[in-house]
Amino acid sequence: TGGHTTEILRLLSCLSESYSPRHYVLADSDKMSEAKICSFEQKRAETFSKSQFTLDRIPRSREVRQSWISSVVTTLYSILYSLPLTYKRKPDLILCNGPGTCVPVCLSAFLLGLLRIKRTIIVYVESICRVETLSLSGKILYYFSDYFVVQWPDLKKKYPKSVYLGRIV
Amino acid sequence: FRFKDSLAEDLQSADLVISHAGAGSCLETLEKGKPLIVVINDKLMDNHQLELARQLHRDGYVLYCNCSTLVETLQSMDLSALKPFPPGQPEKFASFLDKVFELQ
Repeated sequence: TGGHTTEILRLLSCLSESYSPRHYVLADSDKMSEAKICSFEQKRAETFSKSQFTLDRIPRSREVRQSWISSVVTTLYSILYSLPLTYKRKPDLILCNGPGTCVPVCLSAFLLGLLRIKRTIIVYVESICRVETLSLSGKILYYFSDYFVVQWPDLKKKYPKSVYLGRIV
Repeated sequence: FRFKDSLAEDLQSADLVISHAGAGSCLETLEKGKPLIVVINDKLMDNHQLELARQLHRDGYVLYCNCSTLVETLQSMDLSALKPFPPGQPEKFASFLDKVFELQ
């Protein structure tokens, strides 16, 4: 969604073409991100002609301020929905930065790793808005990601296993 | 003015921006090099939103006030004391990922 999309596209901006093809996963309720992504990829294709990307949508796992119990149910549903998608794409790398949408995708990849079907490296970059506390997605994925990147030193102190690179967006 | 697609044009021609504490608004304004006063809405206290505004103020990039102190802030502000906001460095992230995948 919105801010998350802008941030993640900035994270992608300096990546080489080794990180291709790119598979974007969006919440079905997200109206604006598709345009931003297409515009980013179009620009990219001007420099890297063989550039490829896909766009998939999954049901949104949690609405803002949704109750805890119903969140567990909707997240479980989203994980089940994400499994075939993650299985189909078998990504080497999952890069995410915090929207609720990323949790089921990452958990489904983690599951496929446990089942020895595909080992995916999960890199989570917490949003630049998070200076002192982690988002809910961050709190969950701190334990499931291979690399957890934070952008402010306070968070590095609180979450010692995280990676601190300063402001990267 | 309610929901313009982009405030970029307006930002470009502004001399001073007074904004709420939303991250997008703050960062977009700072990146355009415009002086910024962030107004905190005491009634809508979403702590998460305040974190970034507070940090930006601590680092000397923005001025900070609430609705009731806005007028006096405007009267006594010294915009030259604000520091220029350095851009983020996505290239550091690219380097980091390259090392993870041993692409360097």
